[in-house]
Amino acid sequence: MRHVEPVRAAITAALLACVVFADPVSAQAIGQGFELERQGHVSQAASLYEGVLRAEPANLPALLGLERVLPALGRVSALVPLLERAMAVDSNAAIRALAVRTFTVLEQDDSAAAVVRRWAAAQPHDPGPWREWAIALADRQRFDAAREVLLEGRRTLGMPDALAIETSELAQRTGDWQTAAAEWGRALSGQAGRIAGAVGELEEAPADQHERVIRALTVGAAAIEARQVAAQLLLGWGDPVRAWETLTPTLDPPTPQTALALRSFAERAGGGGPEVRRVRGLALARLGDLLPGPLAARARAEAVRALLDAGDRVTARQVLTKLAGDPAAPPDAQILGETALVETLIDDGQLDSATSALSRLAAEPRAGGEERERLRHALVRAWIGTGRLDRAEAALGADSSVDGLALRGWVRLYRGDLRAALELFRAAGPYAGDRNATTARTSMLALLEQVDGERSPELGAALLALARGDSSAALAGLRHAADRLPGSRGRPDVLLLAGRIAAAQGGGQEQTAAALFAEVVRSGGQGAAAPAAELEWARLLRRQAKPAEASAHLEHLILTYPGSAVVPEARRELERVKGAIPKS
Amino acid sequence: MKRRDFLEAVGRYGAVAAGWSLSQLVAPSHHAALSSLLVPMDDSQSDHLKAYGLTYRVIKAGGKAEWLLNYRGGSFLLSDGEAIRRDAALNGVVVEAAGDAHVSAVRGEIAGTNADAVPLEKAPRVAVYVPPNAQPWDDAVTMALQYAGIPFDKLWDPEVLGNALHDYDWLHLHHEDFTGQYSKFFLIYTGQPWLNEMVSFNEAARRRLGLPSVPAMKKAVAREIRRYVANGGFLFAMCTATETIDLALAAHDVDIAASFADGTPMDPDADAKLDWSQTFAFTGAHLEHDPQIASFSDIDGHQVNAGPRRQPLGAFKLFNFSAKIDPVPTMLVQSHRDVIADFYGLTTSFMRERLKPGVTVLADEEGAPWVKYIHGDLEKGTWTFFGGHDPEDPQHQIGDPPTDLSLHPHSPGYRLILNNVLFPAAKKRELKT
Repeated sequence: MRHVEPVRAAITAALLACVVFADPVSAQAIGQGFELERQGHVSQAASLYEGVLRAEPANLPALLGLERVLPALGRVSALVPLLERAMAVDSNAAIRALAVRTFTVLEQDDSAAAVVRRWAAAQPHDPGPWREWAIALADRQRFDAAREVLLEGRRTLGMPDALAIETSELAQRTGDWQTAAAEWGRALSGQAGRIAGAVGELEEAPADQHERVIRALTVGAAAIEARQVAAQLLLGWGDPVRAWETLTPTLDPPTPQTALALRSFAERAGGGGPEVRRVRGLALARLGDLLPGPLAARARAEAVRALLDAGDRVTARQVLTKLAGDPAAPPDAQILGETALVETLIDDGQLDSATSALSRLAAEPRAGGEERERLRHALVRAWIGTGRLDRAEAALGADSSVDGLALRGWVRLYRGDLRAALELFRAAGPYAGDRNATTARTSMLALLEQVDGERSPELGAALLALARGDSSAALAGLRHAADRLPGSRGRPDVLLLAGRIAAAQGGGQEQTAAALFAEVVRSGGQGAAAPAAELEWARLLRRQAKPAEASAHLEHLILTYPGSAVVPEARRELERVKGAIPKS
Repeated sequence: MKRRDFLEAVGRYGAVAAGWSLSQLVAPSHHAALSSLLVPMDDSQSDHLKAYGLTYRVIKAGGKAEWLLNYRGGSFLLSDGEAIRRDAALNGVVVEAAGDAHVSAVRGEIAGTNADAVPLEKAPRVAVYVPPNAQPWDDAVTMALQYAGIPFDKLWDPEVLGNALHDYDWLHLHHEDFTGQYSKFFLIYTGQPWLNEMVSFNEAARRRLGLPSVPAMKKAVAREIRRYVANGGFLFAMCTATETIDLALAAHDVDIAASFADGTPMDPDADAKLDWSQTFAFTGAHLEHDPQIASFSDIDGHQVNAGPRRQPLGAFKLFNFSAKIDPVPTMLVQSHRDVIADFYGLTTSFMRERLKPGVTVLADEEGAPWVKYIHGDLEKGTWTFFGGHDPEDPQHQIGDPPTDLSLHPHSPGYRLILNNVLFPAAKKRELKT
């Protein structure tokens, strides 16, 4: 049982106190004993401790020292007369606990029981005697006996939840997670302060025991606190929807504990996927209904953020309505609300309304410039997504930030103005946008650098179709554009992009992808497209469970294009095909 | 080959190729003017670990290979061939074409410095001792062999006790607990599925072999491994296997297992009854009696699971041996780094005061009372012990993600493991060690 550690810590503290306050001569002897133990001279240490006890029969550090060293000497039984002397002069709980442990080690159960019963009679409301005995038995792997002791202690103390945490930990140690949860259920009733401890212990249950744990915590008339523990466990075990359903019935009628439960739940849902973010948003929204004034507005603002991240715009809008109508909301919460409104409108595709809302926000001096810029760029991307390049350019206005230059580059590219796009991408540099945006832009820059000529409306249209998520149209458009490119270069690179799109589509398009990769490998010459196409081809073959063919392509790539930048990737892919890369 | 074989193998060169693909590997190159390929093992090498696999395959195919000890990080000199170049290119191993004049210059440099050239003769047949349910990435050596492309077989208790070791030149042990106490995780991790599986596999093997307990089975396996080494085998052990195989050998007539393992408590006088004459490396150790502390004895210096006794990790330094006088330890310490960050295992290091006289220390931590890497002989065979679990996972806690060696192609710690794999391939010469 893990109570061992607190008990040992308490004994250590008592021991140190004894060393500090004891007779300086014996304190010095105890210090020497520790040193001898550390050096492995346990026999000499034992003699030293026994010497101290001759002068001070109840010297706790010396008794504990003997408890440590006598087992190594096979002389545990020598502790018995010393303990009897000690208990005759001092009824200290630590000495009694030591006696219980010693008799248990010696398997003298009657003697251990006698010490415990005398101790319990002297302190009838103290669970300590029963706890110590149970721990000692559990340490000897006598789990059934330890459980009997805990149950006897519970009966003697006359409280149905007495020693429940110890009984739970014992059950946990024997793999009986259902009993462990049920005992926590007893211990939790009316004890909200124990919720975190229960979650910490029970979340270690193996996956095949999760359902039993939840059932034990939620069965019949389970306490509210036990249900709240179940909700937090479900959240941690990856079932946020059920977690929220388990928590919800414990929230009415609200009590002072309700807000704490909601806050804990929301904090525990701090990361993870959309469902986790959604229940975080729901918990924060409920919390907003319970908290006063500015605190409520902050909770609602956080709720809106979480709900939008989760894609639950309907609930986000409901919370936004409350936030907007809250005169007590502090300015930062109001701005957060306005910001969230623009995001919601963009996500809903109401781009004209979003444009108007963004204009209002632009007039708000307290709104941060960076935030307004972020929203403007989101609006530009949304207009591009609708194909309204004129509106996208209008939304950009005179934006000369690096992100703005990058976005303008994409707009020009989609109009087929390859040269302008190339220059704008170069001007934007490598730091505009997030990592994905940078990668996409750099890849496109590499492609554009392979193409001669200034304009290709066909390529622009195909790339716009791709940006709008119409992969089929993009695929057809890219093949069409490849044959009509100005100048003599770039065809393999455009076909490689088409192949990648086809491969990503999967299904019947995989054959098209393979044909495109083959054509690039065959006609790509010494450019970068050919090895890149062969790598993609090998990846496609690996996904199709054709490792031998994939290996052949990877080996061909490595040997044919030793200077290609994709060779290290190809070697790693080869390792993956061989199964040599661990699955983490 | 076993050590007794290579003791007799003076002068034999050029083993028969194992198959057509291997024969291809050593077919002569079109680069007629270039007789050899140098595989540099200094910082110019792009994949140190795969270089060992390349060399192993050349030896296995009957090609010529030499280990240039202390020359550019312990480089290899291979016979040239298209297939070898192809193998190197595919595996990302840097090779340098070396004409006769270049080779002569290299030999001249070797002659005038603390370096030597050791011919590598025959690829050793490699066995790894692991339970049948072990994942490849549970064990650093399995990972290293797999990554380098060196073939190996897996053996466990039934095979070892069934005399299968006879078929192998080199045996590796990793984190097996030869005291039969499940690494003393039994009480700490009760109920964990991986522990349940470990217990059930061991119990099933014990029943199959008709032995009274798992500790008794492990002692029998330890004795068989000792016999294998005494008869000329090469043993390489890491982590817990190093400490516990010696404890199991020393405890041939003493109960050193806690009651959870065999139903009876440890003999309280076990320390005094241990017979250190049977062990490989250690002597005079004191056992850890507490069944809840995952430590076995005071052999390990770091005591990773022993609470206040746990020591922090430092770095260990490889010894610089005389290549011409002591080629064996020199082979075992070939590396492009002399100082290597330490890493924990259930047994991380070995207390200097617990080493038997005659044990060769290959690496230690300066100023510390422990050593990291040791080597010795037992009758006709040799053994090498390397503390710690995974050189690229210093903490190695249960549940950590597996190490992906393709992200550590220059790992000096893993190089030490692979030195041991190639070491039995070396042709015997007069050895001072």
